[in-house]
Amino acid sequence: MLLPEQMTRVLVVGSKDSLQQTIETLYGLESVHLVDFSAEEPGFSLGAPLSVASEASQKLLKLRAMERDLDIQQINGKEIEIVSVDKILSEVDNTISTLEAQVFGIVETKASAQARMHEIDSRKKQLKPFLSMPLSLELYSGYKSLTVLSGYVRMDPTKLVQESLSQYEISTGEDGKFIVLFVPKEETAEAQKVLVQCGFTEVPSPTGTGTPQEVLKKLDEEYDLETKASEEAVKKIEELREKHEGFILASDEQLSIDVEKAETPLRLGATAHAFAADAWVPSEEVPRIEKALAEKLGDKVYLDVIEVAERKEHHEPKVESGLGHEEPRAIVPTKQNNGKTVKRFEFLTDMVSTPRYNEIDPTAVLAITFPIFFGLMVGDMGYGIPFIILGALGLRRCISNEWRVIATMLFYGGIWATIFGFFLFGEAYGLHFALQAHELSWSSLLGLDIPNKLFGVIPVGIYDKLSDAKMLLFIAIWIGIVHIGIGLGLGFYNKVVRHGFKHAFMEKFSWLMILAGGAFLFPVLLDMLIAPWLLTDSLSTLLMVIALVLMLPGILLAIKAEGPTSILELPGIMSNVISYTRLAAIGMSKAGLALAFNTIGFVTLLGLDPETSLFAHFDVVMFIIALVILIVGHLTVFILGVLSAGMHSIRLHYVELFQKFYEGGGVKFNPLKVVRKRTSER
Amino acid sequence: MATDAGLIAIGAGVAVGLCGIASAMAEKDIGSAAVGAMAEDEKLFGKGLILTVIPETIVIFGLVMAILLWTKM
Repeated sequence: MLLPEQMTRVLVVGSKDSLQQTIETLYGLESVHLVDFSAEEPGFSLGAPLSVASEASQKLLKLRAMERDLDIQQINGKEIEIVSVDKILSEVDNTISTLEAQVFGIVETKASAQARMHEIDSRKKQLKPFLSMPLSLELYSGYKSLTVLSGYVRMDPTKLVQESLSQYEISTGEDGKFIVLFVPKEETAEAQKVLVQCGFTEVPSPTGTGTPQEVLKKLDEEYDLETKASEEAVKKIEELREKHEGFILASDEQLSIDVEKAETPLRLGATAHAFAADAWVPSEEVPRIEKALAEKLGDKVYLDVIEVAERKEHHEPKVESGLGHEEPRAIVPTKQNNGKTVKRFEFLTDMVSTPRYNEIDPTAVLAITFPIFFGLMVGDMGYGIPFIILGALGLRRCISNEWRVIATMLFYGGIWATIFGFFLFGEAYGLHFALQAHELSWSSLLGLDIPNKLFGVIPVGIYDKLSDAKMLLFIAIWIGIVHIGIGLGLGFYNKVVRHGFKHAFMEKFSWLMILAGGAFLFPVLLDMLIAPWLLTDSLSTLLMVIALVLMLPGILLAIKAEGPTSILELPGIMSNVISYTRLAAIGMSKAGLALAFNTIGFVTLLGLDPETSLFAHFDVVMFIIALVILIVGHLTVFILGVLSAGMHSIRLHYVELFQKFYEGGGVKFNPLKVVRKRTSER
Repeated sequence: MATDAGLIAIGAGVAVGLCGIASAMAEKDIGSAAVGAMAEDEKLFGKGLILTVIPETIVIFGLVMAILLWTKM
């Protein structure tokens, strides 16, 4: 069925001493979607976490700190070491305590070494300008009657200093930009004034003893030692990481599971001695859940079926609930009911919204028509086969949802592109298989004679994308009418499920009639406006009458159901249909591009005569240039094919199709379950 | 006639070109707003994508017109 699975609301009640075992059982069933218990239920409070929670979270906290210190990260695609739960439980305490001390020591060493290196760096920077001064460091400080001013200047201050100071001693660095000035204390203010005029920026005088060169050498030696210490620490960290990474990540996973399970009571209601779990489960699973609870817990736990969720929509917001008082109508979770292949397309539906419980899941329709549209827009065997290969590789290798959906599109879309490319268009890489008049083709290129029909029956290329443009546009319009018709049909079904037949008839059947009327009107319009058709006068009158008979009551019904504004939507449905012409238009633009590259490559550069299949002038340089142009050109068309065919195909579904019936906004069925990647229970 | 063909070609070019500019103008506003919304909530990607490509229809209409004109050449 296209509708999501039917759900039943159940209440699991039991005594508190069996709480832990109940939680284990519910997790094991993997089909219980817990509803957060409202804290305002009279007589109930929220449950308290199980006692193991605090201990496990403490361990988890330590593990996470260690992961950070050891720089352990979860990387997808890396080989995973599976650790058994028993091993984790028996060894985790021991490992944490021994590793903690070790890691702490090493990290401390590394941090202090790096801090000292930083310090040395800044000291070296400070010392640098003084290297060109012929003075020992102790001479810069420790004076009672002298002030030492050192720093950078923009212009040479010697002359100014000579004019305005009575006593002074000045040294200038090699480049003349750095000076050290010794003046008596009482003349400090005057000296500073003079220096400021020369653009002085003060650099604090260094401390210490010995010449700057000696000090620098010592600092360099110390820096090397610290570097060595820090490198050693990094190496030790790496060793520890290598040795314990698998176990630490596995323990992290196990403890996270423990904590999650132990905190489940926070989502349950509790009294002094009992608990109550409110949950949605798939209706067909109810007997299995009842059986499992009875087997594991006997009569300590009781399961009560409250209601089977209705699909009909009610407008009153409050209802009687199983707990004996009023509360807002609960949102029923949606468990999409799709097979393996269709499931791959679920991500595309979810990108718009999760379907609601009481509407059709559009994934199945999308899974059928999306690849067909993609294939029609690409419509070329030469691109289709690489799409299939890439898609198959992607489906095998990729883990992330986004890449998987792209691989799915390429694989199934590629299959259709190959089918359409072979039978409908009969081309690969923009070249037809069969011999063409005045045009390149695989036949003329290879010197073969590929027939237009295999064995005289199976067609190889019915239409040419460029010369049969009108026909292809015509076909695209019909595809649009059928596709939108499907959308309105599904919308009709949705309305029947939710509001009953009368409502659906007024709201959706009216539009189906308008669409059908439009379909009858379409050939008449074409006949009048664009192409002289094969319609006789009497036939076109008949079509007009049928169209009016369908459309007028349709419009009246729509006005009755949705008000006069629905007339404004009439051009909308027309533009929706015309929108499908992109199916043909994009195929043509791709074919045009490919044709252009082929012509440049074969005809212009290599001088191939399409009539005689002979190269007029053939030389190696031209051959290489032509090869490069052909490869780059077809790669461009290939990538544009993924982008535009994919985008437009999904757009036709999102904008044109989904708007006819899809509302979305549901909540995904999210059962209690344990996902293990790095641990195993055996 | 050669002039007729030329006029048709110019007409087709103008149809695609102006429609392209129009779609681009519409899409740039919607696109930037959609990216802004996505920065706040990544779940809006799907909706943002749909809204961004809605004006794409304008250029498709232009392309269809151009193709119809071109078949008359």
